[in-house]
Amino acid sequence: MENSNKYLSHIKPTWCPGCGNFGIFTSLKNAFKKLDLDPSELAVVTDVGCSGNTADFLKTYVFHALHGRALPPAAGIKLANHKLKVVAIIGDGGCYGEGLGHYINLMRGNHDITVLVHDNSLYSLTTGQTSPTTPKGIKTKSSPNGVIEEPLNPLALALANSASFCARTYALDIKDQTNTIIKAISHSGFSLIDILQPCITFNKTQTIKWYQERVYKLKNRFKNKEEAFKETLRTDKLGTGIFWQEKRPAYHQECQTLKNEALVAKNIKNINLGELIDKLV
Amino acid sequence: MKNSINIKIGGHAGEGIKVSGLILTRSLTRLGYSTFSYSEYPSLIRGGHNTYQIQVGLHKVQACLRKLDILIALNQETIKLHQDELKKTSLVIYDPGEFKLPLGELKGKYLAIPLLKITNKAGGKPIMANMASLASVLTLLGIELNTFKDIIRKEFSKKGEDLVKANIEVGEAGKNYVLKNYFQEKLVLEKPKTNLKRMVLTGNEAIALGALAGGLQFYSAYPMTPATSILHYLASIENQTNIVVKQTEDEISAINMALGASFAGVLSMTATSGGGLCLMAEGISMAGVAEIPLVIVNSMRPGPALGMPTWTSQGDLQFVLHIGHDEFPRIIFTPGDAKEAFELTKLSFELAEKYQLPVFILVDKYLSESDFSTQLFKKDHPAKRFSMADNLGPKDEFYKRYKLTENGVSKRSIPGQKGGIHCCNSYEHDENGLGTEEGEMRIKMMDKRMKKMKLLEKEIKGVSLFGPKKAKLSLISWGSNKGVILEALKELKNVNFLHLSCVWPFPKKEVEEFIKTSEKCYSIEGNATGQLTSLIKQETGLTLQSVLKYDGRPFWVEEIIKKFTN
Repeated sequence: MENSNKYLSHIKPTWCPGCGNFGIFTSLKNAFKKLDLDPSELAVVTDVGCSGNTADFLKTYVFHALHGRALPPAAGIKLANHKLKVVAIIGDGGCYGEGLGHYINLMRGNHDITVLVHDNSLYSLTTGQTSPTTPKGIKTKSSPNGVIEEPLNPLALALANSASFCARTYALDIKDQTNTIIKAISHSGFSLIDILQPCITFNKTQTIKWYQERVYKLKNRFKNKEEAFKETLRTDKLGTGIFWQEKRPAYHQECQTLKNEALVAKNIKNINLGELIDKLV
Repeated sequence: MKNSINIKIGGHAGEGIKVSGLILTRSLTRLGYSTFSYSEYPSLIRGGHNTYQIQVGLHKVQACLRKLDILIALNQETIKLHQDELKKTSLVIYDPGEFKLPLGELKGKYLAIPLLKITNKAGGKPIMANMASLASVLTLLGIELNTFKDIIRKEFSKKGEDLVKANIEVGEAGKNYVLKNYFQEKLVLEKPKTNLKRMVLTGNEAIALGALAGGLQFYSAYPMTPATSILHYLASIENQTNIVVKQTEDEISAINMALGASFAGVLSMTATSGGGLCLMAEGISMAGVAEIPLVIVNSMRPGPALGMPTWTSQGDLQFVLHIGHDEFPRIIFTPGDAKEAFELTKLSFELAEKYQLPVFILVDKYLSESDFSTQLFKKDHPAKRFSMADNLGPKDEFYKRYKLTENGVSKRSIPGQKGGIHCCNSYEHDENGLGTEEGEMRIKMMDKRMKKMKLLEKEIKGVSLFGPKKAKLSLISWGSNKGVILEALKELKNVNFLHLSCVWPFPKKEVEEFIKTSEKCYSIEGNATGQLTSLIKQETGLTLQSVLKYDGRPFWVEEIIKKFTN
């Protein structure tokens, strides 16, 4: 069996023992392997946070973006060279807080990128502050009286904003998660996976046990968006699997100037400005 | 006979002033005259006072004078607002059917031309009255309408033959009215002796063309005056030039998308104004640490914060010198006219790639939106790629993208290339790009990046000297003041001028020598504190006096002349 080590750098992951990131990382490299992706044809964009540290553990092309900003460069890379597979690794703070505007707008554009949100409902690399998905009432270092806000609903937002692929996985269910990541990467267009991830060090409420009592596998595909939307509103149980997938041309496929070749292949050896200059006379 | 004339059109926004002004500018330029046109308008779509001003001359014209020879007043307000700019001999064209002249003593001679009436009579729509006024002006200057008609055909042919015909008829009617009633008021402009072919374009169009000449492939931006017209122009020619133009959700996305595209191997640019640049600060810092080639245009308007969106300023010099946290190398070009904007933007793409750093084109509203007449740019541009690795490593192994080299420049690889795998990292990193917090590697990487400044100093010629080598009075300035000062130099005797088209790397030797050989030296700047003066002091230890202006308007030629005439 060909090993999945070809995607790994010499640096061993530095996450806390038992961290949900290990489950996600294993699923990711399994998915790369099953899809038989060439590490040279793969651009992984990482955000900042525990999940972002994935940058150092991979041996593919990696762009380690600024905090909250993984999605714009991911879209930029895809527009520059749409032959590449582009995967963004980002946390709930980066994607749903600092970079929420990018999340909403790039999904509308159906940019062909796969976005894996490591959603542990907490800022963990900065040692545990409230995040956009922290449930109301939870006490954290930055909210000692309990969070006042209602949590953000990433899947409902994605459905409402024309994301063409929306899914949820549970970080520790490697088999299922691998399959969903494979489907997301294979999907042409914006694919979102909101990954439920226990933070065993700082999140004392949403523990592994807490997740195990709530997570269940969605059985069938939803017939329509309304049904899928209803499921995203559930809080007693957390369904995993694909909430919605539809076929729609990706941004680069609708972009007039990318019909024939990748932008990076454009020849700039003979630029002629004649017509443009004549128009200005 | 005159060899230079200053014409202004004033009225409400939405009356087609800019379009009319440009038609007149193009007509005069095509006839062989040199022109420079400047417009003022408020941050409104309808209403508010708008002006378009054309300086036209037999010899090279590079700025507008404040005193007018002809004023086309489309409303009464125009006559009141511009009294200070009129001379006894100025001609003011107005439509007596539209408004009465203001009460009180008025400067200039008033030519009542019933523009709307003659337009209606010639079968035109009310908006075409502008063509009647333009034709009146040309007739007063003793110029036949043939070229004007050609320009009308060019501008309106897309909208149908009927519209072209109607506009031409209206123009003829305007001409005939002047010939019949105001023939004695003629301000004949000497005929140009050359038939030098010139183009008319804004500074922003010159920047866009320079970018294309440099190989631009990807442009992402968020609209912000006065940088927006770069987005408009590039979007309008996106298909023709086979580039990708992307309007993003904000400036943060604009710069980060451009960084991603550049990492993936395409030549990228973004543009904004001060407020947007504030949002781009962290992205610029990333270009610094991750050594990503990027061209960034900042077109200044007065700030702080929203300031005065449609006016001009040179208030961001120190901001751009320092934008982004910690230290990294950068280049800041400050072109003084359309030709320099074109050439330096083109050069920016080469240098951004060669040295893998952010390159700024620092301009202002005055340069971005003024119409320059200039000799045709070169048409063919065989652009090249720089700093791309020829020899990559073994497949599926890390490539030393940030290899520690003697001069600090390491060769790039791009995604898709076998054997080029690396991490393009916003964190401090090792030679492969993997994150590091080790002190020794940090120093090596900082030194690697900063070393590139030394190479740049050799590569860039940042100054141009005008006037005698040694003079009684010396002026030093940067950016768009160039044209104004050069016009003033036509009047000022025994004065020389050092124009800085690049402020970073700072042209230390040239500036030092210029100041030391001068008897008296002033810096001329459009800001309140003398930011170039501070930079000169920082770099050379020499202290200058500053002539400052920060009312949102460019320097006027007369202001410079007056300041230095005893």
